[in-house]
Amino acid sequence: MDGAIEAINLTKYYGKILAVDNISFEVERGEVFGFLGPNGAGKTTAIRLLTGQMKPSSGSAIVAGFDMTREPIKAKRLIGVVPEVSNLYDELSAWDNLIFAAQLYGVPRGARGMRAKELLEFIGLYDRREDRVGNLSKGMRRRLTIAAALIHEPSILFLDEPTSGLDVESARAIRGLIRELNGRGTTVFLTTHYIEEADHLCDRIAIIDRGRIVAKDKPEGLKSRVEGRTAFDISFGPRGGPVDGLAALDHVKEVSKLGEVFRVYVGDVTGFLQALADFARGNGLEITSINTVKPSLEDAFVRITGLSPEVMRVEKEPARRGDVGYSSH
Amino acid sequence: MAIAPIEHLLRALYIAKKDAKAYYFKAPNLTYALLMPISLFLAFSIAGPIDPKSITPGLTSLVVLFGTTSIEAVAVVLEKQTGTFERLLVAPVSLSTILLGKILAGLLFGSALGIAIFVPLALALGIAITSLPMALLAIALSSLSSSALGVLASAHAKWVPEAQMLANFLRFPMTFLSGAFIPLELMPPQLQFIARLLPLTYSVEALRISSGGPMTMTTFLLDMVALALYSLAFLTIAGYALKKKIE
Repeated sequence: MDGAIEAINLTKYYGKILAVDNISFEVERGEVFGFLGPNGAGKTTAIRLLTGQMKPSSGSAIVAGFDMTREPIKAKRLIGVVPEVSNLYDELSAWDNLIFAAQLYGVPRGARGMRAKELLEFIGLYDRREDRVGNLSKGMRRRLTIAAALIHEPSILFLDEPTSGLDVESARAIRGLIRELNGRGTTVFLTTHYIEEADHLCDRIAIIDRGRIVAKDKPEGLKSRVEGRTAFDISFGPRGGPVDGLAALDHVKEVSKLGEVFRVYVGDVTGFLQALADFARGNGLEITSINTVKPSLEDAFVRITGLSPEVMRVEKEPARRGDVGYSSH
Repeated sequence: MAIAPIEHLLRALYIAKKDAKAYYFKAPNLTYALLMPISLFLAFSIAGPIDPKSITPGLTSLVVLFGTTSIEAVAVVLEKQTGTFERLLVAPVSLSTILLGKILAGLLFGSALGIAIFVPLALALGIAITSLPMALLAIALSSLSSSALGVLASAHAKWVPEAQMLANFLRFPMTFLSGAFIPLELMPPQLQFIARLLPLTYSVEALRISSGGPMTMTTFLLDMVALALYSLAFLTIAGYALKKKIE
């Protein structure tokens, strides 16, 4: 197999609950592939199955050319895993955490210090290397968790909700890191419930809902599924009469007001533009701006899943103590 | 490209070293390891009619038991709670290597505690140590079986208090039924039978033999075999329980 990751009919039951339902997909080498879905959709379970933290009820995962059930240790040598909750040793320093990770992954003794130094510089924490991890900020810990996952120079990096719960600045820094790593050739598999993040980071996206993949495509491909419903954002100047008649124009399907801007969904574009010009002239209105609105990934997500975008804004509850690493999904 | 057995052992040692650095030799752990056995020792030897010399092996075994089981509860359950156990699971190491690392750390910690109690007490009380290597072996295997017992308790627990409770469920009967303070021969036959089911009994007996006790070398060797078998059984069950949770 030339691909980096292949999931074949992967299924996972927790007792009678079906968490991952017969999913199949391939990730090419050098690609950023994202699992997009609301919390509880099965993203974390899927990543745990792909990284050998749990066994599937049926189906298989081929990662870096190895079957994760039959040859997990060989596969694990070639992957790095960044869980949603930074799982470093709070009691140890940043440096000691990286050295322990290097020892665990069999990095040769002579190379450990050099790799740790390079990575700490890469994530901008070299000056904090002697600090206990428990004293670092959440964003710093997440960056350090990524560094720990890179210590053995894996060809594939798995990230579960890499920016979840982080402030804007830290999230931006993490996204920058992911782009840079991918630029260096690392294949990235990530899960996210942030639609914009998936749009900006991923080459391809699989939308997952209730354990099933409901769509799988490039972001543009997903967006094109909702095209055919062109929209314009139109602003009028202060002069002129009321604009209530906008909704009654020919070819207009729907009008919504976003502040001072009217978003108008239309059928026939040419017909609408002619009608709009006549409408403005007839009412003495000045059109100050008119922009075509392209369908967003959020529009596509809503259309494909039937879910409200609000569902995606619900943050996950803090993981229950005692469950981490096993049963949350 | 399989990982060589020596590499597995090395990684187990790294896990043990990390555990020692992160969790062991901290004041609360040491206090818990020493507090209960020393209180009982003082209660029996000062307030009671028993010669402190005769219960020194029992005290040593108890310190080892309390010390290692407490620390294993922290070292395994806390790792599960904070998610660091996941870090070990995604690494190219088997569950057996992880468990080996855990009990290696317990073995070293328990042995250090046992020696730190046994040798000074023996010198202070004038106990004749028949064979120091035998005493050290007894302490080491006691530490191993106690570590394995701690891992077993923590494999079934979701958080530290639950692991401590499970460990107490096993530790308290052992404290009084293993001959640590009350000699086995003074117990009724039914209790003697129960005592023979408890690993601590073999630990106390072996330490007694190595410090001038009346029994034979054969008994000592049987004690060692019993402790080794208990260790293996506890670890196998713990490994099975953890594996079930992962699957």
